Amino acid sequence: MADIFNTIIDALSGYLGQGIYVLPEVILLVAAVLSPLLYFITKKGTASAILTFVLMGVSAVITCIMMHTVTYGTAFGLFQFDAFSSLMMLLFLAVGALTVFISQGHVETTKHKGEYYALIAGAVAAMMFVASATNLIAIFVGVEVVSIFSYALVALKKNDARASEAAVKYLIIGALSSALTLYGMSMIYGVTGSLDLYGPDGIIAAVSAMSGNWPFVIGCIGMIAGYGFKISAVPFHSWSPDVYEGASTPVSGFLATGSKKMGFAVILKIFLVMFVAMRTGVLPESFQMVFAILAAVTMTVGNVVAISQTNIKRMLAYSSIAQAGYILIVLAVMTNYVVVGGLFHMFTHVVMKGGAFVVVAALITAGLGEKISDYNGLAKRAPFAAAAMMLFLFSLAGIPPLAGFTSKFILFSGAIAAPGAEVDLTWLWLVVVAVLNSAISLYYYARVVKAMYVEKPATEEKLTIGKPFLVAIALCVIGVIVLGVYPNILLDLCSTAADALFALV
Amino acid sequence: MMGFVDFAWLVPLVPALCFVIVGLLGHKTPEKGGYIAIFGALFAFVMSALVAYDYYTSDAYKLGEAIIIGPIEWLNIGGLSINFGVYIDSLACIMMLFASFISTLIFVYSLGYMHDQGEKKRRYYAEVSLFLTGMLGLAVSSNFLEMFVFWEVMGLCSYLLIGFWSFKHHEGDDASDNAASAAKKAFLVTRAGDVCLMAGLFVLLYAFGSLDYDYIFSNAQTVYANNPTLINIGILLMFGGVIGKSAQFPLHDWLPDAMAGPTTVSALIHAATMVKAGVYLVARSYPLFVTSSDAMLFVAIIGGVTAIYTASMALNNMNIKRVLAYSTLSQLGYMILALGAGGYLISIGMQEGNQALITLGTMGYAAGILHMINHAFFKALLFLCSGSVIHATGTEDMRKMGGLRKSMPITAYTMLIGSLSIAGIPIFSGFWSKDLVLEAAFAPFHDGLGMGSVFCVLFILGMITAFMTAFYMFRMWFLTFMGEPRGHCHGESPKTMTVPLMILGVFAAFIGLIVLVNFSYFIIQSLAPGLGGALADLGLYLGFHDSMHILEEIFTNVWTYVAIVLAVAGIAIAYMMYVKKPYIADNFDQTKKGFLYRLVANRYYFPQLYNQISWKLGYGVAKGVDIIDRNVIDGTVNGLSNAVVGSGEGLSQVQTGYVRDYAAYVVIGVLVTIAVIVLMVCYGGGF
Repeated sequence: MADIFNTIIDALSGYLGQGIYVLPEVILLVAAVLSPLLYFITKKGTASAILTFVLMGVSAVITCIMMHTVTYGTAFGLFQFDAFSSLMMLLFLAVGALTVFISQGHVETTKHKGEYYALIAGAVAAMMFVASATNLIAIFVGVEVVSIFSYALVALKKNDARASEAAVKYLIIGALSSALTLYGMSMIYGVTGSLDLYGPDGIIAAVSAMSGNWPFVIGCIGMIAGYGFKISAVPFHSWSPDVYEGASTPVSGFLATGSKKMGFAVILKIFLVMFVAMRTGVLPESFQMVFAILAAVTMTVGNVVAISQTNIKRMLAYSSIAQAGYILIVLAVMTNYVVVGGLFHMFTHVVMKGGAFVVVAALITAGLGEKISDYNGLAKRAPFAAAAMMLFLFSLAGIPPLAGFTSKFILFSGAIAAPGAEVDLTWLWLVVVAVLNSAISLYYYARVVKAMYVEKPATEEKLTIGKPFLVAIALCVIGVIVLGVYPNILLDLCSTAADALFALV
Repeated sequence: MMGFVDFAWLVPLVPALCFVIVGLLGHKTPEKGGYIAIFGALFAFVMSALVAYDYYTSDAYKLGEAIIIGPIEWLNIGGLSINFGVYIDSLACIMMLFASFISTLIFVYSLGYMHDQGEKKRRYYAEVSLFLTGMLGLAVSSNFLEMFVFWEVMGLCSYLLIGFWSFKHHEGDDASDNAASAAKKAFLVTRAGDVCLMAGLFVLLYAFGSLDYDYIFSNAQTVYANNPTLINIGILLMFGGVIGKSAQFPLHDWLPDAMAGPTTVSALIHAATMVKAGVYLVARSYPLFVTSSDAMLFVAIIGGVTAIYTASMALNNMNIKRVLAYSTLSQLGYMILALGAGGYLISIGMQEGNQALITLGTMGYAAGILHMINHAFFKALLFLCSGSVIHATGTEDMRKMGGLRKSMPITAYTMLIGSLSIAGIPIFSGFWSKDLVLEAAFAPFHDGLGMGSVFCVLFILGMITAFMTAFYMFRMWFLTFMGEPRGHCHGESPKTMTVPLMILGVFAAFIGLIVLVNFSYFIIQSLAPGLGGALADLGLYLGFHDSMHILEEIFTNVWTYVAIVLAVAGIAIAYMMYVKKPYIADNFDQTKKGFLYRLVANRYYFPQLYNQISWKLGYGVAKGVDIIDRNVIDGTVNGLSNAVVGSGEGLSQVQTGYVRDYAAYVVIGVLVTIAVIVLMVCYGGGF
């Protein structure tokens, strides 16, 4: 088998040269271009959806083959294919494929099908470019493309004032964040004289001389604020509940699970590597503290405000904010172990939060409202969806043996226990905050479960859920259980990716 | 050679499969999966019996070792590996045996009790199967994380079982809450404990670099010597989990409210599973806990306080199930007290190298476990009897019962056995273990140890509790079964309900006699791997835990007779108050009673305190943050912007969702971040 793969890769690299290392992304760009064309010819959204879905599959297969054959390579001095970037690419592809899969049967999506799939494919391509970019400008452009495509995706929802309003808010706050990011980048370029992150002349190589350099600090803060917007860390979060509520549900899911992870990919690529490279000193420790505070505030605000939500999409939005807070622990602790936990949590978050959004999308399509009270008695009206939703919510709350428990356990334990490494109990307080938060979160998740299973439904009428939704929900259920019970299938990949990230130092 | 013990993992697995089968296909089978659930529990019992026999005859038992099966690596990151395996020793065997046996009887009883629940039965049987899985999995786990997984599964099941089964309470108890809020309370209060336990596990993971029992137990002494503070923190955090799960003071309050579920579930929670998990955790982690005498003292104090504090609340309650719930709390307090006192002795003994103290301490350990076993039987019996009474009368209020002895004799006399047992009347099982518990509590004082006076107080509390127990149990029995009927009654319950009662009655009466077959030696065998060298002289222990010696200990002790007299006095007073001089209904009008009566009837105002603290504060914080998020920050921002810009827009508008406010948050965030960095840099003494 390996020989065949090698032959294929050799042949491809013969044609493409360095381009092979961005082949997975380029395939998706092709999808983005062909999708509207196909829609124009066939007038059927399904054709575009299938094309996008298939090309995402092809891209994923090629990424997997490359992970096993070439494993490392750089393209045009801007992109680098390694274990970390390829893992993140697979995550984005999985999110994209899930979104495309359920969009066709969903009622909220637009009639401009061709454009819709092109936007998703383009956004995924840009996320993948970001994952492999090694240059600040490349990262910035990639993130901007994702942002602009996201604004359009939010606004594309049919005849909905909430969507338009959310899109405008998203756009304005996004623009502010981009400005902050660019400002930060220019500062960093100014003091280091480089836009490349890695390599002998890169930014990372120059950071050890940056201690005490205030423009550098301001630059970092600008970028943290800018990418804090992407990961919706408090206080850069306020757009996300409005946007998740306003956007069509598959898009909300896409933003919560995909776009947010891209923000984390960027933060890991830049700040984790940067502060690990600086090792000890007041500056990296200050930033660790900043990230720790961000993490604690983000998870607490997310969880506490989620308690008082009545709209399920808003509740999931706040829960996403809280999950981002958990992942931010990685940046406070900055050990290999905790990075593994963070990466793993990103994946489990895709199946559990993605799954929850798929259930919401399916129920909206079946004619159910978005209020939590609309979910009363759901167990009678749609037993499978209710049971799956219960699993997703319990997983989000961290109930064993579901995926959310496993990943949280690794992530939280990573903050105080790293085998073989010198750690102290500095971050014990953060772990306590996180575990407490985890306990709080159960309250609002359990409320939805209670609505579904205990409350009397308004009508006994059964809800019919479309086939694609059932398949997608079933896949997420399998993911939530398998990743919880047998995490090793992904942990090895996460370990390799974390090693690759630390190798950049 | 493969023996049954190599298949011990089937014990939790088969009930788990039953959960899946009942959950998916239960509605297509008779009794909506009831028989499948019974099969699962019965299989688990038979399998546990075979495993226990296999272990008992193995070389490992003779050498005082545990049999560890597996372990399978569950996750592995950077040198840390967490395994899943099966850990079989005498403690695990005991736990599996009584949990599965009692669950089997409860499930059989459910056939009758839940018969008219229709479609809902499928969910019921699925959930109780999962519940049993949790308990059995916990019993056979080979490391703390595995244990925690099952611990949480059980917590989840208790939530589902309590909350989803609201049975109408007639005006039985003033404090009778609705089931959903009781379930939330059960879930959240035990979660508070779980948070502690989880944090404790992190501390252990940090201190030991492993969570495997055998590793932690064999290294506990060394690691404690290196870093006593850290391990103390870890132990106390873990004990926080026990306080939550086994409903010890001050997290005891969820258990009485959990009565809102069906009575079979109460029986399951109180007798076979759930609350025993906490006691089991202490017993399981004994080798770790005994490293710290301070921690063990704390454990004993919590146990003793819980025992008397909760017994007092049972004295004047009129709800038959709540009386039983308080008695469970009180008995759990006994178990924790015995384990704490025994652990304290062992801990001091190990510090001083005093073999005699260690030997005495193992008696406390054995007493705690024995009481757990006995309690499982008599409490299952009592709950199922109360279920039978409720089934027949349709009420839980004892004011509406009375004289039921004639119409439901089997229930009446089996319940009498249970009451005699819990009251500690000789021959009945409760007598043996309760006496050992009290003796263990007395031992540190008797031996003149440092904290002896504390144990003296705890011992006295335990004695008073014994008196209270006899009184409130017989108050309950007399009110329910003696006197004139004060309400209607359908007559004796069906066979599926009375047969389990009779079986349990036999066990509740006689299970305590296992002390006569050197059983306590079997129990303390599970300490051997952990205490290692300290238990080197096994012959000494064999002699000490010889049944003749135990009998001698019990019957040559003057306090034994005092305890018996107190128990008889309690029964006599109850007889005088409730049979001889029949009460009048308005005796129970709580408003006319004195302060003390109201204090107890209101559970020392603890629920109110909880309400104030948890619900109001919790909701308040949530709402408050939301309001701050929407109004205050917005308002401040608007005010600031108006002040800065000085525009003529007039007053600031307090509204939400303005994008300019969102932008302001971002800007404030940036400014705060800069401020933090500046502060950190200044604090760190500059670059």
